[in-house]
Amino acid sequence: MIAESTTPEALLDETAQRVSEIIIDELKLDDVTPSTFDADLDLIDELGIDSMDLTAVVLVLQDEYEITIYEEDYPELKTVRSIASYVLKRRTA
Amino acid sequence: MSSDPSANPIDPEPTPAARDGGTSDGDRHWRFSDLLADPTVRERWEKVRRYFFLRESTYDVATRCNLRCDGCYYYEGEKQFVSECRDPAAWTELMTAEKARGITYVVLAGAEPALNPEVIKACHGVIPLGAIATNGTMPISKSVGYRIHISVWGDDATSERVRGAANLLDKQMDIWAGDRRAVFVYTFTRHNVDQAEATVRRLVDNGCEVTFNMFSAPVGYTGDLRHTPASLNETRQAMCDLIRAHPQKVLFTPYNAVAHTHTRGLHDLFGCTYPRRNPSQLIGLGRTFRQVRANMEWDRDAACCVPDTDCDDCRHYAAGSAVITARLQRHATDPARFRAWLDYVDTYLAVWVMDYPKGSTLEVGQVDPPPAPRHHRLEAQ
Ligand code: SF4
Ligand code: SF4
Repeated sequence: MIAESTTPEALLDETAQRVSEIIIDELKLDDVTPSTFDADLDLIDELGIDSMDLTAVVLVLQDEYEITIYEEDYPELKTVRSIASYVLKRRTA
Repeated sequence: MSSDPSANPIDPEPTPAARDGGTSDGDRHWRFSDLLADPTVRERWEKVRRYFFLRESTYDVATRCNLRCDGCYYYEGEKQFVSECRDPAAWTELMTAEKARGITYVVLAGAEPALNPEVIKACHGVIPLGAIATNGTMPISKSVGYRIHISVWGDDATSERVRGAANLLDKQMDIWAGDRRAVFVYTFTRHNVDQAEATVRRLVDNGCEVTFNMFSAPVGYTGDLRHTPASLNETRQAMCDLIRAHPQKVLFTPYNAVAHTHTRGLHDLFGCTYPRRNPSQLIGLGRTFRQVRANMEWDRDAACCVPDTDCDDCRHYAAGSAVITARLQRHATDPARFRAWLDYVDTYLAVWVMDYPKGSTLEVGQVDPPPAPRHHRLEAQ
């Protein structure tokens, strides 16, 4: 969940941290931790995840943040940081 | 469930799961974690998700065929006129490049792939997961560990009339019965629904596995095999009867039957994600799928698993395997729909992946395909 944070940047970092945890957990990435996960790594081009894995992550994110993620927005979910930013946008939508 | 008036009926008696609230409940919001709370469902989810790494493309490895069937989509459009590359080394090189761009699963089709045995071996040598779509009249080397899909279009009389082949089923079974790679694919047309029971029984009695396909008309097709609402309804009933009669050997589920015999085609129901219908190149099939022709070229505008098929009439089993599977999010809305999706994906994996063990059908009762999402504006996956 999103805790109280002082600045938008801190909130984004905090959300990115949690998104990293979810991705690591869902995709069973053994060789990376939330602190070593590059938030700007391209999940599709560089990490090699594809639509089915991304959908699994989306379903968990929807639960966690009580938001709806639209199919047509999947291409926006390219990095941990862009996912965090999308989540925050949807939280306030 | 949705009460889509165009949906035809199936199993009018609800199952216990359906009576216990296992159907869609429009008022309740189901969290994904709630859907996974049932240990049986979670186990099935974990089982199927291990195969999310599969990324397919299809390859015509022959332009020739020893049969000439009415309604064959291969002999429509431009692809039939390309030159046929028969050089195994060239295919090894192509497959190596395909593997490098992330393809993990190949479907070898054609016309008739078995006419190029060395090409098949070359492909298998590089990408070991895949399937071959064949008419089953020629053997394929035991060293090729792909699923072998053998097309069946009705009883012997129908095969002789539509495919010009006498005693076809006997010939196919002589070669393939007892081969664990083989899956017989019974294609329902408007005119062979009543032949399915006896034909499937013959196959099952000989130890063969069977799944179902739907005749999907090629673009511009004017023959009389195209389904009608009445034949769709009859086909659905026949499929369900056969699922019940041969649960071990018929690789199909009630939701497969619903989705593939709906009066609306797969594209209309689910939004086809193949490049031919999907402009997005960012993720999923739109990004990675290619339909490579026998001359090793491909055309994004024509690329799907059944090129030159009329999208409005497309109910093809290969199309559904990709398109319905990709719509996970639309099915993760309530227990019944999610279980139906799990059944569908479990079945698709059993049909397409060697040695994948199909689980028992999860009880779901009557489940209609999900509505398109309210905010759906683009084909995104
Ligand atoms: S066997 Fe297959 S490829 Fe050959 S003509 Fe018949 S449908 Fe076409
Ligand atoms: S024919 Fe079927 S699989 Fe091919 S693009 Fe049309 S709907 Fe998709």
